[in-house]
Amino acid sequence: MAELAHKFLIEEEKVYPGALSCRGCGWALLVRHIASILGENTVYVVPASCYSIIAGPFGLSHVRGSIVHTVFAAAPATATGIRAALDRMGNRDANVVVLAGDGGTFDIGLQSLSGAASRGENIIYVCNNNGAYMNTGIQTSTATPYGAVTTTNPNPSYKKTWPKDLMGIVSSHNIPYAATCSLAYIQDFRKKIEKAQNTKGFRFLMIDGPCPPGHKTDPSQSISIARLAVETKLFPLFEVEHHRVKINYFPKKDVPVEECLKLQGRFRHLFKEEAKDALKEIQAQVDSNWKRLVKLEEISYQF
Amino acid sequence: MTDTRTLNEKISFERHTPKILKGNFAASEAAKLCKAGFIPAYPITPQTTIVEELSRKVATGEMDATYVNMDSEHSVFAAAMGAAISGERVFTATSGQGLFYAHEVLHAIAHFRLPMVVCNVGRPSIPWNIWADQSDSLAQRDTGWIQLYTETSQEVLDTIIQGYIITETLDIPVMVVLDAFYLSHTSENVWVPEQSLVDEFLPPKKKKGVEVDGYNPKVIGGLIPPDQYETFEYAWWKDVLKVEDLVNRVGKEFGEKFGRSYQAVESVNINENTKIVFVTTSTITTTVRGILDTHPEVGILKLRLIKPFPEKSVVKALSIVSDDTVIAPIERNFLGGKEGAIIQEMKRALYGKRNFKMYDIYAGMGGKDVSPTTIEKMIEKINSNPDEVIWIDFD
Repeated sequence: MAELAHKFLIEEEKVYPGALSCRGCGWALLVRHIASILGENTVYVVPASCYSIIAGPFGLSHVRGSIVHTVFAAAPATATGIRAALDRMGNRDANVVVLAGDGGTFDIGLQSLSGAASRGENIIYVCNNNGAYMNTGIQTSTATPYGAVTTTNPNPSYKKTWPKDLMGIVSSHNIPYAATCSLAYIQDFRKKIEKAQNTKGFRFLMIDGPCPPGHKTDPSQSISIARLAVETKLFPLFEVEHHRVKINYFPKKDVPVEECLKLQGRFRHLFKEEAKDALKEIQAQVDSNWKRLVKLEEISYQF
Repeated sequence: MTDTRTLNEKISFERHTPKILKGNFAASEAAKLCKAGFIPAYPITPQTTIVEELSRKVATGEMDATYVNMDSEHSVFAAAMGAAISGERVFTATSGQGLFYAHEVLHAIAHFRLPMVVCNVGRPSIPWNIWADQSDSLAQRDTGWIQLYTETSQEVLDTIIQGYIITETLDIPVMVVLDAFYLSHTSENVWVPEQSLVDEFLPPKKKKGVEVDGYNPKVIGGLIPPDQYETFEYAWWKDVLKVEDLVNRVGKEFGEKFGRSYQAVESVNINENTKIVFVTTSTITTTVRGILDTHPEVGILKLRLIKPFPEKSVVKALSIVSDDTVIAPIERNFLGGKEGAIIQEMKRALYGKRNFKMYDIYAGMGGKDVSPTTIEKMIEKINSNPDEVIWIDFD
């Protein structure tokens, strides 16, 4: 029973109450789980992101551990320097963890991320992917989903390109561990944090980040929508160890993407008659992505 | 003060080994002697041989450091920042475009009050040019770094050692600037001190209790509201005011230990009879030294410290000359203004104190050779009462 509880429950809280996040935000919850597992001998490296604010202003801290706020484009580089210095002082047990948003990961920080992954830096990179620059007020990033509106892709010029396949890009660096995580699947999420902690080298976790103000959702629906994203295969749960793909969750039945999208105001315009082709296109792309993922898993163990 | 005795074969320095080193290799040697523990690197001409040599020293075990090949200069400086936050002694080098690219992080490092020494081998921006120019480092004057300009390979080595004392005393980063090729790739006699001599002068980096070590949770760099931001700038400003005296003191103490002393500025042949004072930086200084025998009316004010500008030393050095002396900065930089960077600083330093006739001389940009003949042409131009701004090879 205790073992089972450990899979779901936080036994020792490593964050302080009063996180500055919006209601229903993914950041406070995901950091809470990560911190509870990694413990206090952890240095969190934070580039410009919502978490820069949530972590607390000068003199305050959300988390029991160290926080280094750094420049937008180079959190993995800053983490590289910190890791080297900690190793040299003999604190090899410390975790060095980048906490970045999708803008800092998919866009401005991509080169620095690729550099750190290529070098096999012994750090954990966590990307809270909420699909836009939310901290600056909902501008399009290359993680913004097809069909979503943002303040820089206002209707009717909603985003008509697909988000970058970041998991593909990151895992192509032949790193020991990369995984997608959902706050609706806590057991799976906690297992992945532990696996990341127990792996050496460059580790990458991408979390589907709920963002009520950015996604135009009801804060009380954050977890339900995150669950629907997995059930509709909009956000599949899988992990990649070196090039080997393992799908962690197979939805029991086919749930159409509309079920997830209709709860989010950023997709509202897609439910008008003139946009029905866009919805079809999203479904087709999601189906194709899933088939590709299944195939990747199939061939992963043939080599 | 650049000690010309290093050029004299009869002089020798105790506990030193004479070597023939290019400026870049003097820089690598100094980083090793200073026991820099973390070296993030990215190649760029003409700096590359500095980090190449350091990678070799680390690979062969000659040096105990963590050397990391980064993905860009922006990442180099961000990694340097991270290691310095965690208390490591950091060294790296860059040039021109690399320094421009790292601009954002230069500000962050200075604002975080992180000690480190970095070499910049100066070259300009687009169109592509890899030769001597100071527009890259002078464009970073306002990032808050202390800037020291070097004339010889010996001075490069000596200045890096002094740089670590300066940076670790005040927690302000130090940039040591070399001229591309004229210094970086020119072999010269260098007296390399024994490790034990450097150790006696530069102890291991002291922990100040602010380092992010993982054991004791700390937060660095969180959002600062308007009513608090200036608190940090004010404390920093008070330390900026100490830089000039500290550079002079460390240069003197270095002299006592190593036999070669240095100052924020060097005054050469400046006396009551001086008619023209060339204000120089780096290798052009050596060229001007070469014409002093035939032009006794010329003096040199060599700027070693440029940022923060050594106002007191400049005023003192010029206190002996009469008001009709011409002050002529030689500008190996063009920053889009009517005047170069050096004359702006000189005017600011002298404002309200002295009222000299000043001519600004643009020369030597993009590596163009400034020969003794060029210096003589400058003297001719000045004596023929030209415009206030002279482009020495034009009109």
